[in-house]
Amino acid sequence: MNEQLAGALAAEEAAIYAYGLIGVHLTRVSEVSGARDSEQEHRRRRDYLVDRLDELKTGAPPAPAGYRLPFEVTNRASALKLAVHVEDGVAQAWRAVLPVTEKNARNDALSAMTDSAVRATAWRRFAGITPLTMAFPGRPS
Amino acid sequence: MPDTLERMVLTGPVRMSDSGHTRRRILTATGAIMAGATLAGCGLLDDEPDPVPAPDPLEPLLAEALSLAGAFDAAILAQAALAERLTPLAEDHRAHAAELAKVIGKPLPSGGAAGPSAAAPPGSAAETLTALRTAEQAAQKTAVAACVAAPAERAALLGSIAACRAIHVLALR
Repeated sequence: MNEQLAGALAAEEAAIYAYGLIGVHLTRVSEVSGARDSEQEHRRRRDYLVDRLDELKTGAPPAPAGYRLPFEVTNRASALKLAVHVEDGVAQAWRAVLPVTEKNARNDALSAMTDSAVRATAWRRFAGITPLTMAFPGRPS
Repeated sequence: MPDTLERMVLTGPVRMSDSGHTRRRILTATGAIMAGATLAGCGLLDDEPDPVPAPDPLEPLLAEALSLAGAFDAAILAQAALAERLTPLAEDHRAHAAELAKVIGKPLPSGGAAGPSAAAPPGSAAETLTALRTAEQAAQKTAVAACVAAPAERAALLGSIAACRAIHVLALR
């Protein structure tokens, strides 16, 4: 379970980092507030994971000092694309937590996964990306 | 666990003496049951109907996926203008049904989805979208409950189905 929780934590840290870059390139009010809310949400999930890992006496691994972006972010289109990429990644990381948790902990993991999948969909819609939905969110492609 | 074991060890003999059975009689009874099992195993008792296997706990989720696919098909028939938007969602539900049938280990009902029960909903496009959204919200709750209750090997699939239904709620807005 530690491995999967650490994976989710790494994805959340990456999302927090990415939203810092994404926000810079957005100007529409709905998109700017969407990015801000998303970042807050990822910080909340990050704190949850740090607490869980503390409870398990493993402690959270330190966040890396920097990240390699999958592509350059230079404008609104690439910023929205990065937001989709990041949320898909977070959903995948939380999906891996489902089989190694039970009851409330699994419910928490599913909430986190679902929220990211829904946010990815919202960013797809802002970006005009189709298809908007996928049958199995979080399943590695 | 040690506590349970201890209790079992302590109460076992007590129960035996309470019931008045001697050890020999209990062993004989066990032997008779074993013999019966052996006979059944040999096929001598094949006249007995096979016990009906308990339905898989995912059967209701499968039925729901098929019924949702049918509801989308009916909506597309009634509202041609929504076809482009709704068709991918209907396909998502069919993909869920196919995957659930595989996990349950039974073939999909022939014809796929869209039974005659899925009557074309009358009303405006907006009303159709609202009705589908309500159905997706209810279905998401079912999938969440199924995911939380499921054994580990089914959790990821059911989580994806729950998340997909949540995405649909947004896509129908």
